[in-house]
Amino acid sequence: MIDMIEKEDPVISEEEAAQYDRQIRLWGLDAQKRLRGSRVLLAGVGGLGAEVAKNLILAGVKGLTLLDHEQVSEDSCRAQFLVPVTAQGQNRAQASLERAQNLNPMVEVHADPGRIEDKPDDFFLQFDAVCLTGCSRDLMVRVDQLCSKHNIKVFCGDVHGYYGYMFCNLGPEHNYVEEKPKVVKPPADSNDGPEAKKAKIDPNETTMVKKTTSFCTLKEALEVDWTSEKAKAGLKRTPVDYFLLHVLLKFHTDKGRDPDPKSFPEDSQLLRQIRDDVLEALALSADLLNDDFISYCFSEMSPVCAVVGGVLGQEVVKD
Amino acid sequence: MVQLVGSLRRELAESLSTCKVLVVGAGGIGCELLKNLVLTGFKNIEVIDLDTIDVSNLNRQFLFQKKHVGKSKAQVAKESALQFCPSANITAYHDSIMNPDYNVEFFRKFMLVMNALDNRAARNHVNRMCLAADIPLIESGTAGYLGQVTVIKKGMTECYECQPKPTQKTFPGCTIRNTPSEPIHCIVWAKYLFNQLFGEEDADQEVSPDTADPEAAWNPEDTAARATASEKDGDIKRVSTKEWARSTGYDSVKLFNKLFKDDIMYLLTMDKLWKKRKAPIPLDWQQLENSMRPQEESPASGLKDQQVLGVWGYCQLFQHSVETLRLQLQEKGEGSELVWDKDDPPAMDFVTAAANLRMHIFSMNMKSRFDVKSMAGNIIPAIATTNAVIAGLIVLEGLKILSGELESCRTIFLNKCPNLRKKLLVPCILDPPSANCYVCASKPEVTVKLNVQKTTVLSLQDRILKERFGMVAPDVQIEDGKGTILISSEEGETEANNNKFLGDFGIRNGSRLQADDFLQDYTLLINVLHTEELERDVEFEVVGEAPDKAPPPQNNQEEVNSITNGNKDSAQPSTSSKGEHHWKLSWIKTVKYDKNTRPLKSLGSSRQFHVLHENSHFYSCANITAQRFSNHQLSFQHH
Repeated sequence: MIDMIEKEDPVISEEEAAQYDRQIRLWGLDAQKRLRGSRVLLAGVGGLGAEVAKNLILAGVKGLTLLDHEQVSEDSCRAQFLVPVTAQGQNRAQASLERAQNLNPMVEVHADPGRIEDKPDDFFLQFDAVCLTGCSRDLMVRVDQLCSKHNIKVFCGDVHGYYGYMFCNLGPEHNYVEEKPKVVKPPADSNDGPEAKKAKIDPNETTMVKKTTSFCTLKEALEVDWTSEKAKAGLKRTPVDYFLLHVLLKFHTDKGRDPDPKSFPEDSQLLRQIRDDVLEALALSADLLNDDFISYCFSEMSPVCAVVGGVLGQEVVKD
Repeated sequence: MVQLVGSLRRELAESLSTCKVLVVGAGGIGCELLKNLVLTGFKNIEVIDLDTIDVSNLNRQFLFQKKHVGKSKAQVAKESALQFCPSANITAYHDSIMNPDYNVEFFRKFMLVMNALDNRAARNHVNRMCLAADIPLIESGTAGYLGQVTVIKKGMTECYECQPKPTQKTFPGCTIRNTPSEPIHCIVWAKYLFNQLFGEEDADQEVSPDTADPEAAWNPEDTAARATASEKDGDIKRVSTKEWARSTGYDSVKLFNKLFKDDIMYLLTMDKLWKKRKAPIPLDWQQLENSMRPQEESPASGLKDQQVLGVWGYCQLFQHSVETLRLQLQEKGEGSELVWDKDDPPAMDFVTAAANLRMHIFSMNMKSRFDVKSMAGNIIPAIATTNAVIAGLIVLEGLKILSGELESCRTIFLNKCPNLRKKLLVPCILDPPSANCYVCASKPEVTVKLNVQKTTVLSLQDRILKERFGMVAPDVQIEDGKGTILISSEEGETEANNNKFLGDFGIRNGSRLQADDFLQDYTLLINVLHTEELERDVEFEVVGEAPDKAPPPQNNQEEVNSITNGNKDSAQPSTSSKGEHHWKLSWIKTVKYDKNTRPLKSLGSSRQFHVLHENSHFYSCANITAQRFSNHQLSFQHH
């Protein structure tokens, strides 16, 4: 995102400086400026989506587009805090717009009631970062591939009961800077105080070190071949939740929705079945993921959304 | 068959909707927490916060908007939460949790207490109240990207005070007055100066050269000689700084020349101080004005606040701010005082200017207003997401407690980046209570080293019992067989004792004192160890704790611990290499109790703990180690 600064150097007004004071003191003025120039797409304004929206709007991005084709149901009112209780039947993105905007009038917030599946490729190209919540596997893979090609950052995440995950793809060649404390050898005539003249690490002086790293695509992340030797070795250190993710993604693909508490008995049964199928297809033991997860992965749990949303939001901002 | 209500099992969902919980603090963590609680299904919530909303809160305290600035945080938080959950039953208190109204009975109403605080004194107090009431407490803190959550349950886990926590770094008077070597020394000096000129004068906040500095004397006799000599020299000791300033009509040039020229020249006569240090270079107003070159236009690409001016720039800033403050004082009327506030522009300007001029005199690189404000105002950088994660974790721990699964509770640390095992969140098993804890052990006891001929009763009360041992309204009796009462928490009863020395009451080496705080249901036995050998500026030492050395480079966990506990009390944490000090400075005002304050034990009397919000939260905070705290000033409101 370093090129961002050269493209447009938005000035931080005094008003913004006052409001963003505490975060500028953390990540610096340059980072705030980069945020100030970025446009983000957020798909899905459920519990997790609302958290991410809040975090990004408070951080001070240039624009945030809320994309959601779902309608507000009785459950949604309880699940997230942007939708007024009177908004049942309305489109979720549009119903959330007012409160979202009020979080920070300095951000341009838009609501789009369309279906993400129907959006053409160039729709995504107007954004610097895309954040997908509650989306199907195929859609996420497609958007991820499209965006990496155009240097758009991709973030995905979802929450199921007590479980949640997030994924990010910042591109095959991501340039970033890391702050490292400066090692200072003071000159004979030290100006920072007549203290000892030994080389020391000055905690207040840091240098920015440029680095590059590479991210894999979502497709690659999901299509790990567990029969290979290398993968088998890594299996122990892989959290079991990764496989749970596969199970839940498949459920979503097959049923077109997430496990619903109202149909707990049938859905539990189905989850168990899918778990067996998935692990078998991956040539792994069925014991890897036992039955316990079943009663804990329904609906969106607010605190879990807060945690995942926080981490996800932070990743988007950090970039 | 498991039955779910949303994500939760039915029994848990039911207990959530009936139980009562208390949230202490409605700021960064508090807003997020309140939101999580109502969305998760908690129906009966009480929230308390003494503060009002400031514009710098808006980047993360999302229940507040610009139009709410100045209003009560607890009140607005309640109203905003009700917007998205009208069926919740929320009670808001715009008050301090240390008010005796919130006694053990009050705490017993709740199944769970959650702290969302930013200072150690309140955390200590709530810790004790929850121990007294035997209610589980979820403690948490954040600073920047770091955060932590932990659970405290009497008898089962450590209490908040089981492990000694690193306390605020303070600086000896001589360093501030004579030999500053770091910018922070100059900033502290500038804040003292503000009080001496415009605010409440404090004997521990002297700004003039310290003639009694033991380092300055070639011979020990010299020190005494100098001290007496200066008493005759009215310029240094006799006339108070404020009186002197007033006599000049707050003439900024005269002030400038005294502080930055005459006093510096005096320091230069104490030549021993400058044998191994670079000597300060006095400034002369006239000379500076004459040699001033026309200003260059700087391309203000950053924030105005982040620019560092030249010496003349700070001279002008000094002059301008003195004039503004003088007018403010005048407007307030006869005998009035100003209170320093980092968000009051002329007050901040004054400290920026004065500190920088002093830095320049002592050959240090000057700092921008932005940086000075961070240090002077103890600003901890803060963002929404850290608080969001921590608040989420608090509720998750809360659910474990309500499900009766205390054994599965953990302390959880939030790191800035995933650790070596790729974990961003690191849970740790909770430790059992410490047998020696001076709060939760069955018969808490400590040993304090002090000089009985030099420690006053007032000092014992304010610095030792209140600041160091976190009592709010102590009662002390001597274990001399007669039960002699030394300090009574009832206003006025033992006031006559205040300026007497402990030795005057027959207290000597080996004496024992019983200190009680009835509100906290806390008794502490103090063993007195008399000594005549304490270090420069040290008033007392708690035996069994090592002096405050510069900590070695810390691993992440320790860092989080020391940073996130008592946020308000510490300024920007810095990782330091050996030999450097953390300059955590707490700026705390002394508690002023209203005349009508009565402790709880006397039934029927009016309990008015006079709490002035805004700036007037006063605390005196003592240092755990070898260095004596001068009265510092803490501004409660701006976080």
